[in-house]
Amino acid sequence: MKRSMYLSIGVITMILGVMLAIQFRTNRYIEQSVPADRAQELQVELSKLEKDNRKLDREIEDLAYKLEQAKKGQLQAREAIQDELQKSRINAGLVTVTGPGIEVLLDNPPGHIRRNSVFLLRDEDLLRVVNDLRGAGSEAISINGQRMISTSEIRQAGSFININLERTEPPFHILAIGSPEKLKSSLEISGGLVDYFKELGIVVKIQMNNNLTVPAYSRELQYNYAKAVRKG
Amino acid sequence: MRIKTFHIALALVGLVMGLLLSVQFRVTREIMKNPQISRVQVVAAKVGEARAERDRKQEQLNKMRSELDRIAGGVELGPLREELTKARIEAGLSGVFGSGVEVTLNDSNIAAKPGENPNLYVLHDEDILRVLNELRAAGAEALAINSQRIVAASEIRCTGPTILINRNQRLTPPFVISAIGNQDNLVNSLKMRNGVIDALQFWGIQVNVKKVAQINIPPLSGTMSFDYARPAEVQKSQ
Repeated sequence: MKRSMYLSIGVITMILGVMLAIQFRTNRYIEQSVPADRAQELQVELSKLEKDNRKLDREIEDLAYKLEQAKKGQLQAREAIQDELQKSRINAGLVTVTGPGIEVLLDNPPGHIRRNSVFLLRDEDLLRVVNDLRGAGSEAISINGQRMISTSEIRQAGSFININLERTEPPFHILAIGSPEKLKSSLEISGGLVDYFKELGIVVKIQMNNNLTVPAYSRELQYNYAKAVRKG
Repeated sequence: MRIKTFHIALALVGLVMGLLLSVQFRVTREIMKNPQISRVQVVAAKVGEARAERDRKQEQLNKMRSELDRIAGGVELGPLREELTKARIEAGLSGVFGSGVEVTLNDSNIAAKPGENPNLYVLHDEDILRVLNELRAAGAEALAINSQRIVAASEIRCTGPTILINRNQRLTPPFVISAIGNQDNLVNSLKMRNGVIDALQFWGIQVNVKKVAQINIPPLSGTMSFDYARPAEVQKSQ
């Protein structure tokens, strides 16, 4: 009798143990499965995609109109192509544009005489500024009059920095067209680039401006290696 | 007497088990009904739909562009057409192909020592920016990362282990940067002493450069339209 009792209690405790283990696992699962930021992340992605889709709709409408025009005759076709060309040139950065945005002035720490100080502005500082501005939705950027296009480099060459193969040096005058508030806050965010520059002693001045003019890319585009894919 | 205590013990154990079971069921049901989870699922489904829609529209747009090109082909447009081709390449509206290099980047294979910041051994957006910049300086004519075209407005942002580019394209490692241009120039500038690759390899970041005879770079997915910038010429004429 005593033996069978121990046996049954043994079995029951085993079952209890398994159940407890499952319970713990599910509890942990609950905690893990609801990261609020994932929901937020998805929401952000969704609104961006929806914005993209609206833009695509507009683009399709525009192209449909051009196609319709182009089918009417030579003159209209020429006009449609010219229109399309202008649009591509704007997107490519081959056209001077105006609009609201911010002006950023960057300069070396005052009173620095030594040429190779680590606290002098370098190409990577400019790269980061440009990348942050692009991330904040900037539509056109120029540094000291050089428009940044997809193939523009920012490269240290001794104490100078080459941009679009042109030599420049501090102070750097950066113009960016886009939402002034968004652009400004992307740089001034705590722990952002402005904080970093200030710690290094680099002079940073940001100004919102409702009417900026960003110049066009001034060089001739040349493609020696890349060829356009033609479909159809 | 002995049988009685045995019964009580069994009843107690049964009670506890019953309680546990009911709690378990309730918890499981709660998981299913948890509003946040279902919200995430709904949003995720919507994201998938929106993405499919975007891809479809993108395809339609590409077709319309080539149709316009075909019509233009019949008309005497000569130089205009060439200009359009160039502007489209630069704007990322046209796919391109040509010879160039492919740079593959992957996180470090060095394990961070205890107390060291493991972040130092992870690939950062800045590293990719520098590689891209070097390629541009070496005369790259068209660039892409994991088949996402780089245009004038392309940003590269690190979000955890993934990288965000062109607003909402999420890329995961390994990152393959394709560049069309003079192969020797591109490779040499990357491999320059104390250049980008040296700097990356110091942290154990895995870099692999190879020349490819034909690289295909697709057009930008999504559109680029300006909400703030207006062409200056139009303003003058008004």
